[in-house]
Amino acid sequence: MIAKVLLTIWMTVIIVAAFLYADAAVGFPGETSRILFFHVPQAWVATLSFLLSMIASCVYLARRNLKADYLALSAAELGLLFCLLATASGSIFAKAAWGSFWNWDPRQTSIVILLMIYGAYFALRSAVGDPEKRRVFAAVYSILAFVTVPFLVFVVPRITASLHPEDTMNPAKPGMDPKTLKVFLGSLLAYTGLFIWILRLRLRLLNLEGMQEPEFVVTEKMDLEGEKQ
Amino acid sequence: MKEGLNFVLGVNLIIWSGLAFYLFILDRKIKKLEETSTARRK
Repeated sequence: MIAKVLLTIWMTVIIVAAFLYADAAVGFPGETSRILFFHVPQAWVATLSFLLSMIASCVYLARRNLKADYLALSAAELGLLFCLLATASGSIFAKAAWGSFWNWDPRQTSIVILLMIYGAYFALRSAVGDPEKRRVFAAVYSILAFVTVPFLVFVVPRITASLHPEDTMNPAKPGMDPKTLKVFLGSLLAYTGLFIWILRLRLRLLNLEGMQEPEFVVTEKMDLEGEKQ
Repeated sequence: MKEGLNFVLGVNLIIWSGLAFYLFILDRKIKKLEETSTARRK
């Protein structure tokens, strides 16, 4: 509970600092560079979610642990959600900086492909009726889907000419304003905390739903009967 | 420009407060459901 209250306060502080403490970066129209404090952490959380989904899928395939499948599903859901948020916030920046919400820039194109790949993950899950098969297919698909993530997020936009800002706003490159760097790192932390909070809620919900499933009830009954004997 | 900035900041804070409030409510509801479910299983 304390962690959640602290996160709520921390995120509020970061939002205020993003607008009032950090200075707008030079070379961007007006105050548009402030999108950095929201857009990049959203993309970071999306990548983290897809990675977690892939790891959980590997664990499920190795151990057939239901909780690993729940984790893979929840992480993929949140990955898709944050990927959509990053796309939307990126489009707002594109409108202000490049004149149009959508330009088919390599970054925009690669994120659309990523959205379609992970959209298909949920289509696959809803298309297979048998729960066991569904979990196995989804786990295999999640692993294969993640193979494309490094290429679509890091490689493709860097080997092609893009309007996307890199040098000015990339924290890995020297020259980022110390105030901006502080708020940016704080924002990364806040978004990661928010991701963990929502992920845990989703996992608890999936656990509750799982308890209602017929196969769980049958297994539970068998366990109880076994204990009685 | 600063006026516009304050407006965006206000909108951001309202959205964040709403989301945080929703997450706290959801947390409580799930906790209640977990307690009911555990009681039923016992």
